[in-house]
This record gives sequence, C-alpha cells and structure tokens, in this order.
Amino acid sequence: MLDRCGLTSHHAVEFSRQGSSMIAQQDPSPSIELGQWEEALNVIAVHRDKKMYAELFKYFAPRLRAFGIKMFGNEQQAMEMVQDTMLNVWQKAALFDASRGCASTWIFTIARNVRFDMLRKKQSRKDDISADDLWSDGDYPEQEGSHSQQWDLYLIAEKIAPHFHALPPAQRLVMEKVYLDELSHQEVSEQLSIPLGTVKSRIRLALDRLREAIDGPRS
Amino acid sequence: MAHAVKFHPSLSLLEQYTEGTLAAELSLVVAAHLDFCPHCQQLRHDIEADIGCQLAQQSAASADGEEWQQMLQQILSPDAATTTQGSVETASSTESETVATHIEQGQHRIEIPRSLQRLAAKRKKWLQLGGIATAKLPSGDDNHLSLLLIESNTEVPLHTHKGLEITLVLAGEMVDEMGKYAAGDLIINTPDHTHTPKNISHEPCLCLSVLTAPLEFKQGLTRLLNPLQRFFY
Repeated sequence: MLDRCGLTSHHAVEFSRQGSSMIAQQDPSPSIELGQWEEALNVIAVHRDKKMYAELFKYFAPRLRAFGIKMFGNEQQAMEMVQDTMLNVWQKAALFDASRGCASTWIFTIARNVRFDMLRKKQSRKDDISADDLWSDGDYPEQEGSHSQQWDLYLIAEKIAPHFHALPPAQRLVMEKVYLDELSHQEVSEQLSIPLGTVKSRIRLALDRLREAIDGPRS
Repeated sequence: MAHAVKFHPSLSLLEQYTEGTLAAELSLVVAAHLDFCPHCQQLRHDIEADIGCQLAQQSAASADGEEWQQMLQQILSPDAATTTQGSVETASSTESETVATHIEQGQHRIEIPRSLQRLAAKRKKWLQLGGIATAKLPSGDDNHLSLLLIESNTEVPLHTHKGLEITLVLAGEMVDEMGKYAAGDLIINTPDHTHTPKNISHEPCLCLSVLTAPLEFKQGLTRLLNPLQRFFY
C-alpha cells in the first residue's frame, strides 16, 4: 500500500522514444526511498519519534517555504505558514491515512488550510468562511462510473488528436504511454518513476481536460 | 444523492479551489457542489495528489541553518501547544460551534450540505418578496453570499448581471432559458447573460447564490423595481 506513494531515486531518468520528441525534464529531486514519508508519519504518530520527525522536517520544511513564497510573495508569511503547518504535522500525525494519499499530499492540504486561515485572520474575519468549511475530508468514493469508461472509448478515436497537444506535458506524456503505447498504469508508473496514484490522477485530469476541449466548459 | 449532477464547475475553477487561490465565497459554492458530486470530489482528490507530488519533487535548499533548527526545537518543545497553536485552534474550535443542518423558512424545512452548516447558523433574517425569500450569509466586501428560496410557480424577474452570478441549487428544481437544474447543479452567469430563472415545480427551490456586483433588472415594469437589486445583492 505504502509504496504507491514514494518517489523513487530514479527521478531524473531521461528516457527516449524512437521518432518522438518527448524529452523528460531533468528533475533535481533528491533520492527518497519508496514510501519513506508515509512510514515516517506512522512512526511519528505511534512512537512520537522526534528523530524521525526531524528528518521529515528537514525534507519538507524548505519545500514548504518555497511553496509558501510562491503563494504569499513574501518570506515572513511563508515561514509562519511553514511553522504552523509543520506543527500540525507533528501534532496530528495520527490522523494521516496512507490509504487515502501520499504524505506530501496530506502535508500540502494542511499547508493550504493553514494559509487560508492565516489570510482570513489577517483580515480579522472571524465569523467568516474557514478552511474547515471548504475542505473537510469528505469520503472519496472511487469513481468506477460508466462515465469515464465511455470516455475512454471515445477518446481513443482520432478526433481528439488536435486537443492532445494542448495538454500539460506531464499529462500528455502519461496519456501517450497509456493510449498510444498501450502500457498498463503500473508499467507507466515504473517507466516514468512516478507513483501509480499520480499516473491515475494525471489520466483522469487529462480526460477531463479533453472533455472540456470537445464539449466546452462543464458549467 | 440519487440525482446525478449535470452542471459542474470548470476544471480551472476546481483547480483554483483545490489550490486555495479562489475567493472564499466562490470556494464555498464549489465546496457545496462537491458535497453533492462524487465526480468532482474525485477530481479534487486527483488535483491534491498532483500538487502534493509537485511539492515533494520541488528542489529546495537543505534545512541546516540556525533558523530551521530553532523552528524545529520550538515545534518539538512541550509547550509548543500553548505558544504557537493559536491559529491551529481557531480552525478546530469551529467544531464546537453551532451548526444548522436544515434551513427553516415559513413552513419549509430543507436539509443543507455539510459545508454550509456552520455558516447557515449565522444567516441574517429572511427578507420576503412575493414568492422569493433571501437571507444573507456572512461574507466579505467584494462578493455577496446569500440563500435564495423560490416558492413553487414563482419566477425571478428578468435580469442581467454586472458581475458574475453563481448559483448552486441545494434543493428542488429550477429552469431558465438554458436548461433545468436540480440539487447540486451549478449555474454560472456572466454579465452577458440575461436570464429568467423559474421554479415551475411543486416544491420550493433553495439555492446558494454568490454575486460579485449588483444586479440590474431589464424589462418593462420590472425596471421600476430596480431598487430590487438591493434586495438581491
């Protein structure tokens, strides 16, 4: 279960395809063991392991800072967000559920909520909409709907080709592997060294984007 | 919900909502839509996974500096809970707040989705006009958030919008020139749209509405009712 979420150390893989101009971007991400952070969170939750937490902190805090600077546009607030987020991670590690997503996804959602409430607080709007209202963890029913299956069939048809190029590169790459090279999701995950869940996410996002391109916005 | 939602937010709206960059009032409408719509819940989950993956893959300087050490010590110190938890607590303290699981107006009692329950408890008084009643919810200065209850066989006067009007059907049914809407359906009207929403069913229709600018009524007699715009805004 856990190893779905880990990033592999081969992330900077460059692969080539005959006659294709797809070039994977060099990614300077450091090496991480499969499922490392998901397990770390469990250890932190169960044993209140400060050493393990320090490792996790060392990895995520600077990344959250970079993320925060992008969102806030200034370092001071970014650091405030990092501290609040990482404090939540320490205190609420027991709430993490690896079956529902990666450690990094969980940490991102905490950071987003912290940031949202920070901004509201700054405007001193206590009565107002809070992160709790907006992003409670609902159930995430698996979508085995006929919906996406019909679309799979439809999309294989040639008519979507022009829209394919407008997809974000990461999604297009996964779609090409699945629909043109007919690789399984697992194979794509291994080939690109990305988690299986990410392969599935990118496919769903790409399908939705293509649906929009053909049908117009869904509203 | 037995009903299949037909009208969804665009993917870019969902992305902004998930990132947390969408205005709070608009985010609330999207959140309430998600309470009705497993399809969009799944998309939100996928977008979160994608952003989480990006966060983990981001390159960043290592956290060896003094400042990081200090932060780490502070978090792990036993009194962290009392010194820095202020903003954490504001979030969880909402749990003990009053929530309204139903909206009551006249003889109607209508269930509302989870994301609205805390705010619904803070609604302002109902204002009644003909078959339409409206009650404001707490919101910021730029966007106005309100509940709208349209009695059966009632028409909302023809109007256009100076800004964006986003309506989410919470219960019942409504029709306009574009189609028929039921619980969970999201209707976005830009300033270019003119529309006449109607409730032609036998049940009252409850909606959540966000307006980003005053409404302007357009036609015949209803023009004289232009002060109405304050009623809706």
